[in-house]
Amino acid sequence: MNPVDRKLWLASLTDRFARGQMDRRSFLRSAAKLGLGAGALGAYSHLSARSGLGLISPARAQEQNIEWPEDMTNWLKEAAKPFAGQTIRLATESTPPSNAINSALKGYFTETTGINVEIETLPLEQVLQKLTLDVASGLGTYDLYYLDQSWMAAFSGDVVDPREKYESNADLAMPNYNIDDFLPALVDGISMYDGVMVGVPYDIPIFIQMYRRDLYEELGLKPATTMAEYLSNAQTIMKAKAPEIYGTTGQMKSGHYSLECDWTCWLWAHGGSIFGPDGKFTGNDEAGIEAMNYWIELKKNMPDAVTSWTWDGQGQSVAQGIAGQLISWGEFFPSWDSPNGSNVAGLMEATVPPKANSLRAVDETGYGEIPGVGHQGGSSLAVSRYSKSPDAAWLFAQWATAPETQVWITVLGGGTGPTRSSVYDDPRVKANAKVGIPGTTRHLDAVRETIANHMGSEPDLPEWTEISNDIIPVELGRFWAGEYDDPKTVMDTIKQSVDNLLAS
Amino acid sequence: MMGSTSREVVRAVVAWLLVALFAFPIYYWITVAFKPERDIFALPPKLFDFNWNLSSFEEVFGISFGFDKGLEVLPGGGNFYMLPNLWASIVIAVLSTLLTVIVATLASYALSRMRIRGQHHFVFFVLSTRMMPPVAIAIPMFFIYKNFGLLDTYTGIILAHALMNLPLAVLLLKSFFDDIPTEIDEAALIDGASRVLIFRKIVMPMALGGVAATAVLCFVFSWTEFLFVLTLTQTSFKTVPVAASTFVTSTGTAWGNMAALGTAAMIPAFIFILLVQRNLVRGLTLGSLKQ
Repeated sequence: MNPVDRKLWLASLTDRFARGQMDRRSFLRSAAKLGLGAGALGAYSHLSARSGLGLISPARAQEQNIEWPEDMTNWLKEAAKPFAGQTIRLATESTPPSNAINSALKGYFTETTGINVEIETLPLEQVLQKLTLDVASGLGTYDLYYLDQSWMAAFSGDVVDPREKYESNADLAMPNYNIDDFLPALVDGISMYDGVMVGVPYDIPIFIQMYRRDLYEELGLKPATTMAEYLSNAQTIMKAKAPEIYGTTGQMKSGHYSLECDWTCWLWAHGGSIFGPDGKFTGNDEAGIEAMNYWIELKKNMPDAVTSWTWDGQGQSVAQGIAGQLISWGEFFPSWDSPNGSNVAGLMEATVPPKANSLRAVDETGYGEIPGVGHQGGSSLAVSRYSKSPDAAWLFAQWATAPETQVWITVLGGGTGPTRSSVYDDPRVKANAKVGIPGTTRHLDAVRETIANHMGSEPDLPEWTEISNDIIPVELGRFWAGEYDDPKTVMDTIKQSVDNLLAS
Repeated sequence: MMGSTSREVVRAVVAWLLVALFAFPIYYWITVAFKPERDIFALPPKLFDFNWNLSSFEEVFGISFGFDKGLEVLPGGGNFYMLPNLWASIVIAVLSTLLTVIVATLASYALSRMRIRGQHHFVFFVLSTRMMPPVAIAIPMFFIYKNFGLLDTYTGIILAHALMNLPLAVLLLKSFFDDIPTEIDEAALIDGASRVLIFRKIVMPMALGGVAATAVLCFVFSWTEFLFVLTLTQTSFKTVPVAASTFVTSTGTAWGNMAALGTAAMIPAFIFILLVQRNLVRGLTLGSLKQ
């Protein structure tokens, strides 16, 4: 075989191996026929780090010597016998857990159960489009839904309540699955709607406070405990270091959901809420305007380009070393510790967000909104009501969110915060809390405490998808583009649009 | 004499500046594919002075080029392996172009040479189907495809792309056939040639330039089409534009990998255009001069 053919054949083998269509032994056996032997693993293992994006290679899994508990393997084998050969499909955003499962872990599930798993990774907006189409058609093209917390209400009627599923068939209930192990705040914040558990908590990106230790030390700053201190810290960095380093950064692209996420953080931190108990928009009240004025002051300490950045640009600005601090998604953190992709490896620190100036009580808000500086953007994994293989899908959902699987997702370096209490305490997870490695878990203490004490959750209502992805970020985008004279006018405009939508 | 030379120099400089203006974004995009991750967003931008490497290509194509052996082996690869998607793009673009060109050639020749009642309206109707935004028919097509078992299949996407390209191809080719004098057909008819023979042996060779130009357009439209592939596929395969969107993750965008795939994806389209280049130039200028 000529060298080119050998490379192509190796690429083909590697593809099948990566997709979990071939076990390691078969891969090595086939590679041996090419005269490559174990060295063939090098076709994968040399691949450089992309930990910042939560991507995980099979080689990484090999390095970790993943060993699954025998009781889990035996149970999966037994429970899945009637479903062997079935194929289940999941459309998901390219998130750390989905990438870890797709790249490195699902091979075990398929090998053990005989159930094929096809995972389609797409940007979040496209996942929403796919799921909407699936639900509208009722065709069951997907067996599992990846549901962002802002979609819970919209899809609550199209899924099977996992608690019902767990209790209705003991043969399919994974032993030691322990639903109570999921962090209670998360179950309430990302999985429940109107008494229905829409899915099982799957991942939990959440706003935490992150800052440059070297800058803080040089300028004599301390992590902010109040919103005023946070602004003051940003101004100090800006004054001392701009334009090389800005006080803070943002994800403020017009019309993008990320802009709404930033807004809610400042709104909640100033005692405001999106809705009042009467279900009317309240972002234009006194607290809402105070939040906007704070944001205007804060933005003076950000690069001008923030209005064109989503979370991607925001994360990059920190990685490039041009931002001194931020309150944003904790799942960025491991990527900044990667020396290959970051100029601030080992320099970032994580802590809980500053205390809110005042916090509106839940019963003073509407649609189950929970004010808190730590805006959460979690997601759940749900079994579709239209699935042709609901039992196989349920087995997969349990396995994907089981404690052991979550440990490996976390250890492999995805960056996400685990949704189970026990995973935070797992010694394997704690052992990864090191400086300068791409899969660091040293931010997880801050994540856990933020979930418990500072978490903010968006309201649950079917129209929320449109409000949060369209009305609010579009109008806020126009505000930051200078189309409104003052914050009150833009908030009044949003109120009118939102209230009209809900009234209709 | 000097004035003339100066004018030529200025003209050449302006021409080169214009070329640079259009070529620069492509150059920059290609350099992103070869840059280490940390240099992609470096300020000021690193246009030349960076460590060229192939790691983005290695991840996208799952092939070792022997670089970066000293790097720590950590996350990477897996989800970003795109070779099958590139192949799917080639298969779909080539076959849908072939199908479009075959059907459109026959249809446009008939429209050019035969007179039927309401022909003008028919031609306008053909064009009007192109005016319909793809998003308006994507969802109905999803349901139709699901019922006919075409969802998530190569056949389904090839048909969708052929349908998308047919109106434009028919109209383009009709204009090329219109430019070939009908006297040639008539002379051949008098000599006893059949319509099919005239089409195959006389008109087609003369219209090859137009066919090539049409084929290039169809190929490029299929190569870059996004919505139908997104809506009508699931897990079996993706073409490059949709596959590239998977580089957008919840924790950031893999710009290096995206640029590597984009750079590689230029090559098949470039080769296709090179192959038909000679005819393409003829096609683009066909009918530009009055006989």
